[in-house]
Amino acid sequence: MDGRHGVPTRVADVRTPADDTPSTAPAPAPPTTVGPGLIDGLDEGVVVCDRAGVVRAANAAARALLPDLRVGEVVDVARCEVLARAVRGEGQGTGSFEAVVDHPEGERHVRGRRGPVLGPTPPPPPEPGEGDSTWFLRDVTGEHARTDTLLAAQERAAFLAEAGRALHGVLHLDRTARRVVALAVPRLATGAVLVMRHDDQVTWAATELGGGRPRLGHTAASELTRVPRVAAALADEGGGVDVDPWLAEELATLTGLDAPGSGAPLRACPVPVTGVVDALVVLAGPRAAGDDATDPEEDLLSSYVARAGAALAAAALHEEQAHLGAVLQESLAAPRLPETEGVVWGAAYRPARETLRVGGDFYEVVGPRGPEGRSAFLLGDVCGKGIEAAVLSGRVRQSWHALRLLEDRPARLLPLLNTALLDAVATRDEGPRFATMVLGDARPQEDGTVALRLATGGHPPPLVLRADGSVETVPVAGMLVGGLREARFGEAEVLLGPGDTCLLYSDGVVEARGAGDFFGEERLATTLPACAGAPPAVVCEHLEQTVVEWLDGHDHDDVALLAIQAPA
Amino acid sequence: MTSPDALRVAYLERVAVSDEAGAIAVAADALDAGVDPEVVLLDVVAAAQREVGERWAAGEWTVVQEHVATHISERVVAAVARHAPAPPPTGSDTVAVACLDGEWHGLPARLLAEVLTRHGWRVEFLGASVPAAQLATHVHRAGPDVVAISSSLASRLPAARRMVEACRATGTPVLAGGPAFGEDGRWARAVGADGWAPDARAAAAMLAADPEGPWFTEEPADGTPVDRAAREEQAVLHARRAELVRHAAAAVRPAVDGPGDGVPDELADDLGHLVDFLAAAVFVDDPSLFDGFVRWVGSVAIPTGLRLDEVGPVLDALAAALADSPRTAALLRGAHGGLPTPVA
Repeated sequence: MDGRHGVPTRVADVRTPADDTPSTAPAPAPPTTVGPGLIDGLDEGVVVCDRAGVVRAANAAARALLPDLRVGEVVDVARCEVLARAVRGEGQGTGSFEAVVDHPEGERHVRGRRGPVLGPTPPPPPEPGEGDSTWFLRDVTGEHARTDTLLAAQERAAFLAEAGRALHGVLHLDRTARRVVALAVPRLATGAVLVMRHDDQVTWAATELGGGRPRLGHTAASELTRVPRVAAALADEGGGVDVDPWLAEELATLTGLDAPGSGAPLRACPVPVTGVVDALVVLAGPRAAGDDATDPEEDLLSSYVARAGAALAAAALHEEQAHLGAVLQESLAAPRLPETEGVVWGAAYRPARETLRVGGDFYEVVGPRGPEGRSAFLLGDVCGKGIEAAVLSGRVRQSWHALRLLEDRPARLLPLLNTALLDAVATRDEGPRFATMVLGDARPQEDGTVALRLATGGHPPPLVLRADGSVETVPVAGMLVGGLREARFGEAEVLLGPGDTCLLYSDGVVEARGAGDFFGEERLATTLPACAGAPPAVVCEHLEQTVVEWLDGHDHDDVALLAIQAPA
Repeated sequence: MTSPDALRVAYLERVAVSDEAGAIAVAADALDAGVDPEVVLLDVVAAAQREVGERWAAGEWTVVQEHVATHISERVVAAVARHAPAPPPTGSDTVAVACLDGEWHGLPARLLAEVLTRHGWRVEFLGASVPAAQLATHVHRAGPDVVAISSSLASRLPAARRMVEACRATGTPVLAGGPAFGEDGRWARAVGADGWAPDARAAAAMLAADPEGPWFTEEPADGTPVDRAAREEQAVLHARRAELVRHAAAAVRPAVDGPGDGVPDELADDLGHLVDFLAAAVFVDDPSLFDGFVRWVGSVAIPTGLRLDEVGPVLDALAAALADSPRTAALLRGAHGGLPTPVA
């Protein structure tokens, strides 16, 4: 750093460039006076060379950057081959260069550009000779280090962003587990295993560099007693766990696979506690072997593990909720229709919130009971939409199932149901909950006809599609169910001849609103004749399809259809 | 009687007279005679069902007759599953099978579900016309390894895009199937699916060879991924559908444009489909999709439906109404040039 110019130097350790200029170049007479010149004031290193590459002048900054640089010696001595070549006019760009040079304090990045020829004042400038050149040198080591740091940080940020996006795109716990290990390879490790405890189950996922899709398995949490170190690491509340030679063996015990990374050192990283799942990520390979807590790679690792933990917790919570929802949906979903002698049934159901699969419309059919072989049916609509309506509809259906056993005459059953609904609402802090419905029973007779008894409250009247294609409305009406204790309901009897179909539908059918008008009773009545003679399931399916096409993607209310047919 | 052709003819006879029990008996007898259940499903039921579709297109059968036939075939598929139960699944891999939103022909997907079950897969059958949101819910909840989507109508491609996106957000590969995606499956690429199978047998073979996909090997050559302009123009067509149908109807049948809704349902249906196919063609940026539909609609004999000589004026009327949508207008002009000459 403090090499004085003009002092003869050793040249023994000079790295000789490809040509032989240094040893043979004639040494010019050194400048008579040597002292701080204008160029010494520059931060930039300045080197003035003559045509032969002999250093005529060099400022302090240049000497600091290239301690071997000596005035009066050829530039090659400075161990900066790029500068030497540039001075001689070799290399592609003659105006500038960038190079890495040895330096007592470690490698330095040097950027050089050719500048106008300068002379020091004082001393008087050396007479500019033909072919002289001046070089300004700058230490860009810091710049490079900053750029490298920035690029590395960008790469880490991009990795984390992509990992976050990929992890949070999934809500299924097993798929999330697979992703956690898949994303870790190869960026963080050459192999990865995730062990996770959720309720009384242990899930593991494992992947290996080039090993294809991650493997996944489940085992009972009690199995953890066979792998005490894994169990201990799982219970750990964050923080690193030392590399443990027994870990590989325990993982093999748990997963039945060879430990990841084929013998590479393993590192266990407990996932920060999320309160939902306990999880442990085991990484294999050199990337995981960092031991410096301030290492940005360490930061990356812990950030990744934290994201994995958040995604696993979200997936586990979603799974619990989804299970709850699925069980509820299953209990409230439209029932299967029975196969009955002498009566054929068909139904269609399309809830307003299609992802929910349940809604406020409902239907039930129970096959023949009693000596007369009557099959009972119910179709209705409770006020509201979505899960609240579905739960209320479940209450109505349960009541119907129970009351039906005590009273099978529809006109008597409906008032009982009305009272039951009012009583149920009265025991809870709920506003009045209304329902509309048609209920009844069907009795197949010797002559192939089917006799229907119907009772209705507040519901659109049923339609009858005769085998010849004519359509009749059953003239029956009544008051809302669950509104008033002394409500009055309508009753009717219908005889279905062979091939006749009775259609019960909810108001979601006629109130379906497409780009233009409501679907309406009239359109329903004109759609039906084409279905004459078709099985009741086809009638309902055809109507549902017609209504949904009419909606043309617009929102709709629940749609329920139930068709009762006397076989032709 | 064990030859698939003879069985198909016998089956179709039963279906034609709405004889469900008879149709089930044809299938059951074939199974008892040792015919492979897959042959019964694909070469008898599915093949007969294709003929049903042709009879409908030729104007021989009504849409309700077609529905009855499909209903019988559904019952027969269920009967085959009972009569010759599939072996238990051989692995833990699960495939979810769904029809595109708006695709009511659930039978091909149902057949695929049956075939895959017989190939050892655990199958979740989601049914006909599955909304994208419902598929997304299912994928998040059940986490299938593969989603298979099926459609016969290219006009449902915009829905396919939404369904594929729902699956891809979770990293679940999507195998598309059915004629909706083009003869060579090119539109399956355009909507972002990971592979395409022409039929149920091919799908089973592809999934057996590679259960994870992607099954498309090289980058798309001519099927370009859907871009923003395409989506916007498709959205415009979707939003203006009813208006465009009335506009086009008035152009070819001025008499029906009186007060009230005088457009015959068949004409309105045809024009609605025409707008849907136009939207799908804009969506995947492929004029051949629309040209194919235009040729087809001219060949279908539905009374009071769109007639071949009316197609040209309809295209002109739509092009005039859609001048603000450059791609759509270009497609309409292009299709006009390819129209067959009406038979006098």
